[in-house]
Amino acid sequence: MTNNKLDTLIASTAQGRRQFGSRAALFAGFGTLLILMAIISIDSLYTLEAFENHNSHIRQDFAYRENTLEQVRIGIYESGDILSDYAVVESDPQSQERLRTEFQSIRDETAASLKACIQSLPKEKRESFQHLAEELDRYWSEVDPIFALPATQKKGLGHSVLSGGVHSQYAKVLAITKEVRALNDNELKETDRRIAEAFAQFRRRLLVLAVIGFSFSLILAATTIVYAGRLEKSVQEKYRESLQAQRELKDLSKRLVEAEERERRAISRELHDEVGQSLSALLIDVGNLTVMSSEDGAFRLGLHKIKTLAENCVNEVRNMALLLRPSMLDDLGLVAALDWQAREVSKRTGMLVDTVDENVSENLPEEYKTCVYRIVQEALNNCSKHAYAKNVRVVVRQEPKHLRVSIEDDGKGFDASRVRGLGLVGMNERVSQMGGVLKVESDPARGTRLRVDLPLPNASADSGKLSS
Amino acid sequence: MKKLRILLADDHIVMRTGLRALLEHQPNLEVVGETENGRETVALAASLRPDVVVMDVGMPVLNGIEATQTIVTQCPTIAVVILSMHADESYVMRALKAGARAYLLKDSAAEDLIGAIQAISQGKSFFSPKVSRILAEDYVRVLKQKGAVDTYDLLTSREREILQLLAEGRANKEVATALNISAYTVETHRSHILQKLNLHNSAELVLYAVRKGIIS
Repeated sequence: MTNNKLDTLIASTAQGRRQFGSRAALFAGFGTLLILMAIISIDSLYTLEAFENHNSHIRQDFAYRENTLEQVRIGIYESGDILSDYAVVESDPQSQERLRTEFQSIRDETAASLKACIQSLPKEKRESFQHLAEELDRYWSEVDPIFALPATQKKGLGHSVLSGGVHSQYAKVLAITKEVRALNDNELKETDRRIAEAFAQFRRRLLVLAVIGFSFSLILAATTIVYAGRLEKSVQEKYRESLQAQRELKDLSKRLVEAEERERRAISRELHDEVGQSLSALLIDVGNLTVMSSEDGAFRLGLHKIKTLAENCVNEVRNMALLLRPSMLDDLGLVAALDWQAREVSKRTGMLVDTVDENVSENLPEEYKTCVYRIVQEALNNCSKHAYAKNVRVVVRQEPKHLRVSIEDDGKGFDASRVRGLGLVGMNERVSQMGGVLKVESDPARGTRLRVDLPLPNASADSGKLSS
Repeated sequence: MKKLRILLADDHIVMRTGLRALLEHQPNLEVVGETENGRETVALAASLRPDVVVMDVGMPVLNGIEATQTIVTQCPTIAVVILSMHADESYVMRALKAGARAYLLKDSAAEDLIGAIQAISQGKSFFSPKVSRILAEDYVRVLKQKGAVDTYDLLTSREREILQLLAEGRANKEVATALNISAYTVETHRSHILQKLNLHNSAELVLYAVRKGIIS
C-alpha cells in the first residue's frame, strides 16, 4: 500500500512536469499566433498606406506633366496667332510692340515651365521632353527673324516666312507635344498596371499569411483540446483517488469502532462469564462448607470473611463488565439495555430519565443496537455533565424503514451552530457510518434535543414487537 | 415423602458441582440431570419431566430466559428457578414474563436456593432478598423523583389482599377458595388492581409486588 502511494506520487510529479511543459508550449503557441496576426495587420496597413501615397504621387506627377504639355500646346497656338497678327495684320508700331512683348512672355513662360518639368523628371524619362524642348527652341529661333524684320519688309516677307519654315516647325512642335502626351498617357497606364500587379502580389502574400495563421490556429486549437482533455482526465483521477481515500478512511474508522466494541464485549464476557461465574461457584462452595462445618467459631468466621470478600469481588467484576458493555444488550435487547442505563444514570446523578420505546424489535441487527446504545449513553452523559438537566426523555421508535431516536433534556442548552465537541463528533461518526442523520437542536432557554435517524435494512423490519 | 426432582442447567461445571453439593445435602431433593446449554435443557426437561429446573441466564446456544419460556409453555407443571448475575429489573421482568417462578442472584444462591425451591414447591414465588431490596429502592426513588403519588394507596384492603395472593403465584381459583368468594369476583378485583396500578399483565403485577415488598 505504501509502495503504491509512493509510485502514485512519483507518477504524479512526472505528470506535473509534463503538464508544465505542455503549458509552456501552449503559451508559446498562442504568443506566436498573436504576433503573426499583429504582423499581418501591420504589414497590411503599411502596404495599403504605401500604395495610397504612391498612387497619389503618380497621379500628381502625371497631372503636372499633362499641364506642362497643355501649356506648351496653348503657348504654340497663341504664339501662332500673335505671329500672324504681327506679321500680317498689325502695322501700328505700338500694337506691334505689344504683340512682341506678349510673344516674348509666352516664349519665356513656356520655356521655363518645360524646363522646370524636365528638371522634375528622372533622367531616363527626360528624353522625350528634351526633344520637345529642342524642337520648341528651333521653333522659336525660326520665329525670331520675323520679329526682327523692319516694318516695311515684313508685309511681303512675313507671309513667306510664316508659310515656310515657321509653319512646318509649328506643326512639328504640336506633333511632338501630342507624341509626348501619348507617352505620358502610356506611362500612366503602365503605372496602373504595375500597381494592379503589386496589389495582386499583396493579396497573395495576405492569403499565404492567412492560411499559415489559420493552420497554426487549427493546430493550436487541437493541442488545447487535447491538453484540456488530459487535464480533465487527471482531475477526474484525482477526484476518484480522493473519494477512494475518503472511503478508506471511513471504512477504517468504522473498523476501529467495531474493533473497540468487539474488544469491550470480549472483555466484558470474559469478566462476567469466567471471573464472575467462578466467584459465584466459590461462594456456593463456601456456603456448602458453612453448612457442613460444626460449631467451630473461628472456622466459620474465616468462611464468612472469604464469603464477604468474594461477594465484593463479584460486585466489582459485574460493574466493570456492565460498564464495558451491558450484557442486557446481548441478552435482552436494546430496550432492556436502555431501560437499565436510564435507571443507572438516574440512580447515579439524580436526573430523571424516562425511556419510551415504540415498536422496537428485539432482534435488531447488532450494529444498530450498539450504535443507539452508545449514542444514548453519550447523550445522557452530556445531559448530566454539561447541561445540568433535571429531566431527560429518550424515545426510540422503529418504523418500517427507519429507526428513530430522540433525546430531549430540560438543561441549559448551547448554541448548536457553534459548539462541537461534547462527543457530538463521535456520535456523528457512528451515525454516518450507518448511513443515518444526526440533528442537534439546542436553545439555552429550552434545553437540547438530539435526533438520530437510521435507515433500516429491509430484512430487520419484520420481527415486530416483543418487549414492553 | 416423595423427593423433588431437580434439573441443573449451567454452562460452568464448577457452578454445577457446587449447586449439586448444595442440593444433595437436603434429604428431600434429588438432582436428576445436568445440562450446559439452553437447547439441551429444553430437551432434557421434556424427557425427564423434573419438578424444578435451576436455570442459569447466560448460556450458549439458547439463553436461560428463552429456554424457560419454551419449557414453561411445553410443560406448565415444571417450575423454573432463574440464577442470574444481575439484580436489575430488566432481567427480573423478562424472567417473570418467560414464566420463571423464582429469581435468585448467583452470589446469594448458597443461602437462597433451598428456600426458593421449597417456596415454589408450595406454589409460591421467590426472589432473592437482595433483588427485592434493589427493586424496592428503585421504586421508591423513582416515585420520589417524579413526585408521584404511590398508587398502592388507591387499593382497597380486599384488593391488597388479593394482590398479595396473586403475586405469590396463586391462580384465581385458589384465591377464590382462600377468601371464600367466587372466581369471577377475583377476576373483577384483579382487573381493577391492574387498572389502578397501571399494570398490564401478571408478570408486571408480580414485579410490582416485589418492588413494594409485598412478597419476597
